[in-house]
Amino acid sequence: MKIKIVDKKEVPALIDRLIERYRVFAPVDAGKYARLMEVASGSEACLELQNPKLSSKEILFPQTEIILRIKKGEEGLETEEPSENDKDWVLFGVHPCDAKGLVLTDKFFASGDYKDKPYMDKRGKTSIVGLACNHPRATCFCASVGGSPFGKEGIDILLVDLGEEYLIEILTERGERMIEGVHGLRDASDDDMARAEKMSEEAEKALQTDLPIEGLSERLEGMFEDPLWDKVHLKCVGCGVCSYLCPTCWCFDIIDEETSTGVERIRLWDTCQFTQFTLQGSGFNPRPSGKERMRQRTMHKFCYFPKEYGVLACTGCGRCVRECPVNQDIRETIKEIMSV
Amino acid sequence: MVSISNPYKPNIAALRKITTENDVNDIKTFEVVFEDPDLARSFRYTPGQFGMISYFGAGECPIGIASSPTDEGFLEFTIKKVGTVTTALHNCSEGDRIGIRGPYGNGWPIEAMEGRNVVLVGGGFAFTTLRSLAKYILHDDNRGRFGDLTVIYGARNPGELIYKYDLEDWEQRDDINLIVTVDKGDSGWTGKEGYIPTILKEAAPSSKNAIAAICGPPIMIRFSIPVMTELGFSPSDILLSLEMRMKCGIGKCGRCNVGSKFVCLDGPVFTHEELQGLPKEY
Ligand SMILES: Cc1cc2nc3c(=O)[nH]c(=O)nc-3n(C[C@H](O)[C@H](O)[C@H](O)COP(=O)(O)OP(=O)(O)OC[C@H]3O[C@@H](n4cnc5c(N)ncnc54)[C@H](O)[C@@H]3O)c2cc1C
Ligand code: SF4
Ligand code: SF4
Ligand code: FES
Repeated sequence: MKIKIVDKKEVPALIDRLIERYRVFAPVDAGKYARLMEVASGSEACLELQNPKLSSKEILFPQTEIILRIKKGEEGLETEEPSENDKDWVLFGVHPCDAKGLVLTDKFFASGDYKDKPYMDKRGKTSIVGLACNHPRATCFCASVGGSPFGKEGIDILLVDLGEEYLIEILTERGERMIEGVHGLRDASDDDMARAEKMSEEAEKALQTDLPIEGLSERLEGMFEDPLWDKVHLKCVGCGVCSYLCPTCWCFDIIDEETSTGVERIRLWDTCQFTQFTLQGSGFNPRPSGKERMRQRTMHKFCYFPKEYGVLACTGCGRCVRECPVNQDIRETIKEIMSV
Repeated sequence: MVSISNPYKPNIAALRKITTENDVNDIKTFEVVFEDPDLARSFRYTPGQFGMISYFGAGECPIGIASSPTDEGFLEFTIKKVGTVTTALHNCSEGDRIGIRGPYGNGWPIEAMEGRNVVLVGGGFAFTTLRSLAKYILHDDNRGRFGDLTVIYGARNPGELIYKYDLEDWEQRDDINLIVTVDKGDSGWTGKEGYIPTILKEAAPSSKNAIAAICGPPIMIRFSIPVMTELGFSPSDILLSLEMRMKCGIGKCGRCNVGSKFVCLDGPVFTHEELQGLPKEY
């Protein structure tokens, strides 16, 4: 493993070197919050902002994407897949919780006999430059769900903000390839590494860690009919924001849109928090109220997914806690479940 | 990078024949043929599986395969008009082109049925994949591998009975015990009258070395299961096919799950025993 140092003022140039070889997506200042977007120059990237409003999900599994074009021609119908034979991609400045979100997404979309090609194609050519999280927020709880603000899961190169410079930890072969030919790096000293270590400890300390989570999945298995579900959803207005912002909510809808030459088949985010999500042709709805829908979202993350993949489907990024219009707090739900 | 095939890409097929099934004219059977002749020859499926049917411009929806694997070179789908896609399909003419993905789902457990007496209970237009199974069992190549075949099928009234041509054909055969009933007959009706659970009780098919498959509206299923139980069918010998809203058919869009099972992948066919172990959310 190689550890380097780069001065902060050299970072735009470093990104520019990457842009020569990759399409680079980095956090940019979108007004009140940061957003991960493709950058044309290193100077657009803004690493000092808090974790983007939307996770890296929006790049690899965008809110809307064309998955098929159908041409209505003289000789009938022809289907055509959109192909992106462009450069490889780099997601730059991804927080460890969101990198973990991608690892969980990989498990799901790559599982079973049917691989999700639209996601896998993009994911397969994407490298991740992570950014360790020095200042976890009050809503963050990654450490309670198996993550860490300095976590390395799913990351090819990890940056640690040391104030005037970044420590650069090259973690994978992909990381090596990315950094090839980038100038202005020097070897990290023992002192640099000690400083990074100290920041990691401080970040861990700043995090909430009292969330009881031991045995949560097993406990939920027997709780489908528990009266708890009658209460926990009551203030939820079903807006779906929690799912849209969540790095581990992947439900989608598929719709057709007519164009002048044919049809575009589009997939778009959907959520189990919407009434119509499970409404059947007969008019029957197996999840008719907020109770069933909140139960489904909670069960998916903390019971069904762990049962299948051995890991909780929540990264503790805190987005659903921060952005819910009625202050629904998934940590409170967990506490209630654990105290039944 | 390993190249994977796109599971969302449908195959183009032509509507060769469209048959209106009921008096109300909201149920039609579509006979379809894949445009690619190799695919038309090689397409294999099990009764009880389904396809995702596209009308391009309107969208896609899951429809059980109503033909039997013994029907070579074409597929049939029997579709009730209820919403966007099904209406677009109903507005089609013979020769029009649609898209098909599949086959998906597990289908009826043929191997578990072999060597046993088979009881099929269907109500309304949900009879489609049972019809596929009945045709499969009745085919000369397969008939010997199954015991007695009992088919109990009902609809609201005589005009709503689908597959009348098959029913007439089956009436003539002596290797199938066919019981057809309607909730309410009309002046020309000479057959049975009564709800499925009642008729089922009356017919009392033996549970000895038997396995049963039930398809129909939820209320019919709810009242039929106690009758089957009374007749001695164990929960593992009662098969049901679930209908959930589906978009992908391949376990990815996240909307058809019952507990940790995806109905599109792990189902749509479950034994009553399996369902007893799942949350009541279907
Ligand atoms: C495994 C499986 C097998 C199936 N097999 C068959 C089969 O063999 N034959 C068959 O006919 N069906 C079958 N179905 C059911 C079929 O898939 C549905 O009827 C079909 O998806 C309806 O699609 P649609 O686009 O026509 O309806 P949609 O437009 O999706 O409408 C669905 C429902 O929503 C309601 N709705 C639509 N728009 C609105 C709105 N704006 N506001 C409020 N409500 C609205 C409609 O009234 C309808 O009740 C099967 C389903 C499954 C899961
Ligand atoms: S963000 Fe809050 S109100 Fe909106 S669906 Fe989620 S829990 Fe309910
Ligand atoms: S459930 Fe909430 S905290 Fe957990 S990953 Fe999703 S948005 Fe983040
Ligand atoms: S239909 Fe998409 S997950 Fe089953």
